[in-house]
Amino acid sequence: MHKDPHSSFESTDSNVKLLPLRPASQVMQLERLGSFHQSRLSFMRTLVRRMVAENWQITSPVFDLDDQGYGTVVYQVEAKHGTFSYVLFSHYLDPENRNDRVIANQWDLTMALCEGTVGTEQLEFLRANVPKQEAGRVDSRVLVLSRANRSARTFDYVVDELTQGRQPSVDVIAEVGYLYRTTAAYGSGKLGMADWEKVRTKHRDFARPFAAEMFTCYMLRHFSMQQADYLAAQRSPETAVTLHRDIKRYLGIGNSTGLGMAPFLINHPLLINQWIEMRETALATAIVAGEAGVDKATMARLDMATERVIQHLGEIITADERQSNSNVVVREELQALHLWLQEQAADLAITHYVWADLIQYAEQHWHIETQEVINTMLIELYPDLVDSLEEQMGTEESQQITPEMLVSELLEIIEDKYDWALAIDFSKYESKGAFWYRSEEKMEPRLGQTNIDMGMEKEMPLGIGRLVRECYDLLQHYNTISPEQNVAHFIMQCPNHSGIVARIQTMAQSRYGDIRENLVHSDVLPIYLLRCKLSFFGVSKFDPRSRLWVRNTMFQGAPLISDFGNADMAADDWQFPIKPVMTSL
Amino acid sequence: MKVSKNELTATLKKAFEALGFQSGDYYDAADMVVWLETHGFDGFDRLQAILTYLNTIGPVHADLVQEDEHHSMLDGKGTSILLCGSEAVDLISAQVIKGSWAALELTNCYNRTFILQRLVKAARRNLAFIAYWRQSDYCVKVSIAPGAELPEYQTFTMTGEFDSQSLRIFSGTDMAVIERQFAKELEFGEFLETVSAEDMQACYLDSVEQGIEIDEALWKTLNELVARVLVESTESSRAGAGD
Repeated sequence: MHKDPHSSFESTDSNVKLLPLRPASQVMQLERLGSFHQSRLSFMRTLVRRMVAENWQITSPVFDLDDQGYGTVVYQVEAKHGTFSYVLFSHYLDPENRNDRVIANQWDLTMALCEGTVGTEQLEFLRANVPKQEAGRVDSRVLVLSRANRSARTFDYVVDELTQGRQPSVDVIAEVGYLYRTTAAYGSGKLGMADWEKVRTKHRDFARPFAAEMFTCYMLRHFSMQQADYLAAQRSPETAVTLHRDIKRYLGIGNSTGLGMAPFLINHPLLINQWIEMRETALATAIVAGEAGVDKATMARLDMATERVIQHLGEIITADERQSNSNVVVREELQALHLWLQEQAADLAITHYVWADLIQYAEQHWHIETQEVINTMLIELYPDLVDSLEEQMGTEESQQITPEMLVSELLEIIEDKYDWALAIDFSKYESKGAFWYRSEEKMEPRLGQTNIDMGMEKEMPLGIGRLVRECYDLLQHYNTISPEQNVAHFIMQCPNHSGIVARIQTMAQSRYGDIRENLVHSDVLPIYLLRCKLSFFGVSKFDPRSRLWVRNTMFQGAPLISDFGNADMAADDWQFPIKPVMTSL
Repeated sequence: MKVSKNELTATLKKAFEALGFQSGDYYDAADMVVWLETHGFDGFDRLQAILTYLNTIGPVHADLVQEDEHHSMLDGKGTSILLCGSEAVDLISAQVIKGSWAALELTNCYNRTFILQRLVKAARRNLAFIAYWRQSDYCVKVSIAPGAELPEYQTFTMTGEFDSQSLRIFSGTDMAVIERQFAKELEFGEFLETVSAEDMQACYLDSVEQGIEIDEALWKTLNELVARVLVESTESSRAGAGD
């Protein structure tokens, strides 16, 4: 492997920036963002670490299910800083009406995470509204609203096995990985719920991005297993057994994510920049930590992690050819890494820049997904150095015009920071071959084909590259006829471009800036956007169903509620979950 | 009924988009309405008063009619501050950053109270602002110190002639600069009343804690506007969602 690790790294002046952070031109390519995996900074990981370390107490003062598992459950959550209630309604759902799309209007389970305890009156209010989801209204006592559908095949199989006194086959469970799949988790003030500002300022337990939403999914996982145990006991109290602890840990929650998530990444560029900057800071921290040499124990941990990822990827079942081929390639390349670690471990322990060398080698020889798997494994090696970054995953999201800036300076900024946008030839049909719009069906974002699908006149402004190009051309013309003028005067002349000007000027001050992709190209792959965001959530087992939506699994391998407060669980080691080896059933 | 701040902002953005506002404008306009409503300045009433106009006349922006190093004059052409407030504040801010102080007069404009949010946001860049305008038979004066989260809002009796649809903004690197440069322009009549910072803050905190009360009819109107930016769902369009 090569010995010049710093050629692609930036060095600037502040403390954090002294780290060898990768450049935006590399990181913000959409394909790379779409190759990210869960890391220690992912929101599920940070939530679980917090719950385990703080030993959150979770009880169920209401567990009112009938013998079919339908009814009401209220979990009371005593977190470190406050009390919360997780209210769940289990309904009969005709299998013909089971639909995971956002446009569905019936579900097996509907849930709400509420602040404080829930009294009788509030419970009735929730019962009248939560099952309706988007068609209902809740209030600011509710933090998150969610719903889930049962995996009929896995759920019935597991309950049948438990009823007959047997543990379900891990191989059968591995094919799906969950008993329920969530189809949406709404927070941040939707449908009358508490604003993110309220959650952030009042409820410290959930004062990180998407913490409350992730907790809602975690509790769904807990309920799914509790309900399976409950139903088996109801059906045959004499023979029923409860799910084995290792199987419980291996069970996650299913998730299908479609285009609804895609606009978020474009509409919250400062937040996405912050997430990526923290992840890159964690990676750079790991690289620097390796500069003094890497001890054998750390090498061994990386080797074990490598073997685990190889197995994890081998256990993913996907019909998507691109993802399937990618998984094969990544496994082969990780096998090479495994052999290299085995053969070179002793020498590597005294080698400087070992991680930088590894990363550079991977960038030059291996698949982009392999590169990002390696990066996330390296971050995993240094929890003491990187975990504190989890506190910096939020940011204020205000875009502001800098009106005094000279137009000539703004032009230079665009040429520097948005060179990727200026490089796109928008005279080609395919460069503007797609457009994003909101459907009248629950305002679902959709992708249309230019001049073929209806709705072009109602296009959402997600084609940032094209907007930058249009603004740049106008700025150039304006600067020619009015040299030495500032941005305020340009806006007076061209007020319709104030939005993109504010974005350019704001994002130019961030390290990573905008995602570097033409999102209105005919061949755009929105699935990369989805995967990027999902990686920050912390999901695993990506199974693309098309270029527009992806199945995945949440919390698979994560500690259980019974593990909270257990010092052995503090290791937080559940990345890339693999089938458990059942030694004693 | 009550709505959250995020929900209201998102709905307003789309409603303004439906009225023909471009992306910078609909973000700013939504922020202005939400700020006024959540700080006790009747943002919804003021919005309702202008909705019919906005629905009838397309978006109109102000024109720069006169300018020197420290002074600007804009013609609002009868439009709302929701559409011309941002460019006015940007223009005077640029002048202050270059020359320490500036004055701007925006004539022939409506809904001037909405300017509060734009001034508070601009003040975060360590600029001070004083603005005033005639409201029926009294004068409204707002002052925002550099970096202040909330303005000082006062009313005074009218003195002298002042066009009923104008807005005057004075800005400087600090409040003393404004008062020194524009002492003559900042003479007001008899003090009438003020809205205290405590009241504004209490109103805001209550809106975060409890949500924002909105008339159901207005909420319905806004959502009817939102429907204009939605596209009819067809079998073909469902394919564009992954079906």
